[in-house]
Amino acid sequence: MDLSLLLDPAILSELVFQGLVRGAMYALMGVGLALIFGILGIVNFAQGELFMLGTYAMFFCVSVLGLPFVVGVAAAAALLFLVGALIERGLIEPLRRRSGRNWLIDSFVLTIGLMVVLQNLALLAFGSTRRGVATLLPGSFDIGPVTITYERLMILLVATALVLALGAFVKFTPLGKAIRATAQHPEAAQTLGIDTPRIYTISFGIGAALAGAAGALLISIFPAFPTVGYQPSLKAFAVVILGGLGNVVGAIAGGILLGIVEAYAIFFLSAGWQNVLTPIVIILVLILRPQGLFTRQGERP
Amino acid sequence: MSLRVEGVTAGYSREAPILKGVTLEARTGLVTVIIGPNGAGKSTLLRTIYGYLRPSAGTITHDGTPLTGLAPARMLEHGIAYLLQGRSTFPAMTVEENLELGAWTIRKDKARVREAFERIYGRYPQLKERRRRPAGALSGGEQRLLEVARLTMTGPRTLLLDEPSVGLMPKLVDEVYAEIARLKEDRYTILIVDQNVKQAIGIADWVYVLNLGENSRQGPAEQFHERLDAIVREWL
Repeated sequence: MDLSLLLDPAILSELVFQGLVRGAMYALMGVGLALIFGILGIVNFAQGELFMLGTYAMFFCVSVLGLPFVVGVAAAAALLFLVGALIERGLIEPLRRRSGRNWLIDSFVLTIGLMVVLQNLALLAFGSTRRGVATLLPGSFDIGPVTITYERLMILLVATALVLALGAFVKFTPLGKAIRATAQHPEAAQTLGIDTPRIYTISFGIGAALAGAAGALLISIFPAFPTVGYQPSLKAFAVVILGGLGNVVGAIAGGILLGIVEAYAIFFLSAGWQNVLTPIVIILVLILRPQGLFTRQGERP
Repeated sequence: MSLRVEGVTAGYSREAPILKGVTLEARTGLVTVIIGPNGAGKSTLLRTIYGYLRPSAGTITHDGTPLTGLAPARMLEHGIAYLLQGRSTFPAMTVEENLELGAWTIRKDKARVREAFERIYGRYPQLKERRRRPAGALSGGEQRLLEVARLTMTGPRTLLLDEPSVGLMPKLVDEVYAEIARLKEDRYTILIVDQNVKQAIGIADWVYVLNLGENSRQGPAEQFHERLDAIVREWL
């Protein structure tokens, strides 16, 4: 490891760009997870499987139907919104009516089960073959010393646009405000006439759509196969631990931080080390700052 | 014309209901107070009226419209607002956003929402001043005012107040009761459950005593002023 490379501006900017691309993806996954936890109080262990469904949707749209990149991402997000909404209505909502104090553990068992079922359904339906798309957008350009491929740039732009759009939606629209209100005080939201079960369904749908979009965007790196969701879901959990569980802004910051740390790890230590460094960072955060790096003690989303 | 509860039995399990055939009426434009020892089922009664619990027997009507079985989120449409026990602002949202959510059921009628804001800001200038601040940054008393203001955005006729003064400093309790007195002047129909029996009866027109989930006695508030100490002693 040559530390003098740390000071080389070309390498630095290259790594920051790579880190941002990775980070934007992790942020998409983490924000979905944080949103679902913040609003429904569910730690969704099937988030990676929603990502997996997104990769299949993308493969189908781009490779089979020959649709353009952005249409594929939009289709994957829309499909996963529906899948998420159906999961919430069909499985989570009935469980919420029966469950009481054990909600965290009940919903944990439900989403673990969902993970296994979705993986095996995918295996049955599509087999274990990896179905990838080699390049979504060919070509690249240079900014000074940094070479930027169109594909990476597109991933970064679309992921950023999605996160910003979600932020604006939640901040400014009436429905977004109702979602925040439900997260902060569900019972009060109900007394004001907000149909909280509907808010839960929509929120889970949005969280699933983010995972689907992430899967679609990343198909050239993670080809579609039944257990492809494993790595991305690990990253999503890393991101929410860094950012503070249920903290959406923290998840964005955590995602970018993790992306940049990994880009550096790959460059200075070699590929594979990022998968060692990530758990080390998580363990350190859990020991030193269990509420997350970006959450004040005791604060709620 | 009033809120009527007739023979309501309700609770968290069918075998051991908390309310056993409770009957009461909150008459239009008057303040009705429910008192009783801990565990008498006062708050459970309010929660049952508001649809959080479904009665296994009995009926609840508001101005003649049956409410039994209606979800809590539908109550405001029927002109009933419910002040929850404890803090119920959305702390990370601004005062204005909190009030906007108070107008959720009328959000499509922009003119009505504008009118509601004018009315509420006219009535509570301190909330107008702080409208851009997060609700969680307000003092305890101001948050209580915000909660009440938020409930009245849509112009409901009946207010259910669940322990409006619990957990507040004595000075703030006085402020809360001054505010309830103003709401009474505005001819809201008000049904209050409060541990703060003296002040609640001070403002009441009619008093019900619940004990172990059953009606114990009732009468005009004057009857209770001098006998209050004796009644409370029975509960201890």
